[in-house]
Amino acid sequence: MTPEDAFIARPLRFGLARTAALVGALAAICLLALALSARLGEQSISLRAALADPTSTDAAILWSLRLPRAILAVIVGAALGTSGCALQALTRNPLADPFVLGVSGGAALGATVAIAAGLGTASQLAATPIHEALGRISAPSLFAFAGSLGATALVFAGARSGGQSSPYAALLTGVIFNAFASAAITCIKALVMPDKLGEILYWLAGTLGYERGSTLAAAALLQVVAIGVMWLCSGSLNLLTLGDDDAASLGVHVARTRLVLLLGASLSVAGAVALTGLIGFVGLIVPHVLRLWLGPDQRLLIPCSALGGAAFLTSSDLVARLLFSLFHTELPVGVITAIVGGPLFLVLLRRRELQRVEGL
Amino acid sequence: MRRAVLVLLVIRSLLVATSAFALDRPTYLGPKPPPSPRRIVTLAPSLTETVIALGAGDRLVGVSRFDDLPEVAKLARVGGFVDPSVEAVISLKPQLVLVQPSPGNRQPVEKMAELGAPVLALPMHNIAEVLRSMREIGAALGLSDRAERLVQELERTRQSVRARARAQKPLRVLFVYGFEPLVVAGPGSFADELLKDAGAINAADKADSAYSVYSAENAVRSRADVVINAAEDDAAAEKFSRLAGLKQARWVKLPSKDLLHPGPGLHKGLEEIFALLYPGAGTAPVAR
Repeated sequence: MTPEDAFIARPLRFGLARTAALVGALAAICLLALALSARLGEQSISLRAALADPTSTDAAILWSLRLPRAILAVIVGAALGTSGCALQALTRNPLADPFVLGVSGGAALGATVAIAAGLGTASQLAATPIHEALGRISAPSLFAFAGSLGATALVFAGARSGGQSSPYAALLTGVIFNAFASAAITCIKALVMPDKLGEILYWLAGTLGYERGSTLAAAALLQVVAIGVMWLCSGSLNLLTLGDDDAASLGVHVARTRLVLLLGASLSVAGAVALTGLIGFVGLIVPHVLRLWLGPDQRLLIPCSALGGAAFLTSSDLVARLLFSLFHTELPVGVITAIVGGPLFLVLLRRRELQRVEGL
Repeated sequence: MRRAVLVLLVIRSLLVATSAFALDRPTYLGPKPPPSPRRIVTLAPSLTETVIALGAGDRLVGVSRFDDLPEVAKLARVGGFVDPSVEAVISLKPQLVLVQPSPGNRQPVEKMAELGAPVLALPMHNIAEVLRSMREIGAALGLSDRAERLVQELERTRQSVRARARAQKPLRVLFVYGFEPLVVAGPGSFADELLKDAGAINAADKADSAYSVYSAENAVRSRADVVINAAEDDAAAEKFSRLAGLKQARWVKLPSKDLLHPGPGLHKGLEEIFALLYPGAGTAPVAR
């Protein structure tokens, strides 16, 4: 048994039964959010009519609108929660969120270019026969995905050029690339027509739309792989939080582990932002709330962040949709995540601090 | 063999787009609407106005959140131009949904069509598109005769204004949408077309697009006789009206929003712009 194995095999904080119960409870909350999100919305629908008559409007709303959107929220929420958690540990920075590594800047720049160029669907880029298949993918999504992968590659190149890679080099390159991208976006915004400006702003605010089943399946597959990789590395991630030297002395391949984790997180975020734009706050707050509650063990935090992020984003989207009757439009879901999540987090933080003071 | 055919059919059904979403011509999406649809949803005020102008306002069941006409005050709101709620539209069980196509509303509009709402997408950016859309909506509602009468009436107004404008000295006009930044009506904009009909010369001759951001220096050198102010910001307008090249121009405030959005109110917009430019010329009585 290597020292690394010894550390990774360290007993969980809560014991196996309680850990399983915890993960189970979070999964149940997530499922409940999914069910509520499918059941409730702007319109009241009759479940009986929806189940009995597949041609009814109620059935169309339930199966074709609400359920795919709730599933999209689950996929994207899980991606943002997990990658936020992994990046906070990896960069040893509590302010890190899924967008620190330049992924958001790359995605936003890609989508902005696509909208400014007036590209509706990806089919406008290629001739037949892939033409028709691309007709189902929106060009901003495709460009956002490409942009975030490009930004990730750039950040990696920047972080490694100094010989030894360090989390700070990656972090700084990411932050600087984001600043560059936001300047480029401002420049494009100044140059485009007002009607395109509206579209760009709408995309940047982050919204959950109506994706096709095939798109959802591909996105889910990508996230299962990316989140799976982050979870597999979570034992080593525990050691990396001690510092590179300590981790290396305990048998962790520091550079390789960090590369795999950064790639997993970037891929996960790229897959998420391509579909929804930039939804803030989920990836920052969900890992923090869970860490306050569960402690710093990444083996538990990574899967719990996936479930927590999914539940949080799904319920936030439900709130956004329910507010339609009030505003006659859906608020961007990022508004709800920040307005609900911010105060909630401050309350939790304060309670935790009080407990610590009393415990002393 | 049969399985291979089946697989091919499945792949084909996945690939074939449900329908084309065109930005430059009227297009039907989704199922065919009934010959005279009774339940109509509109996603833009100009479309709502067209339906009302055709005398079919009582068939409307849902409108956009930007609609503020008293005729539709009690109707359900189904969201905005780029952010319509598919759920709200579908649950109204519309027999026809009228939309203005844009890349931004492509996804929700295609979704509505896919879920069984007959959609008619109508671009309305300029006078030609407005007239074409009015005829198309008339045909869709079974009111082609009325639509034709409406189009003829608009054309008559245009001819009458053009005839009256010929008797006037052509004015150079700068049409301003906003001051910070300075945005003017350039070629291809709706206001530019109305200015031409009213016998004016668009002073923003350096503008290269419909809603062009213009430099203050270009504006000063535009030799405008009249500046039409369609902006909300009066403080900024005040600053610009003191600039050397613009000081001697006659500044007029836009009296109504008919000039700003293409739709069946365009004859009113045209009369308004003519009256603004040539206050002494008087307004000929219009048919309506």
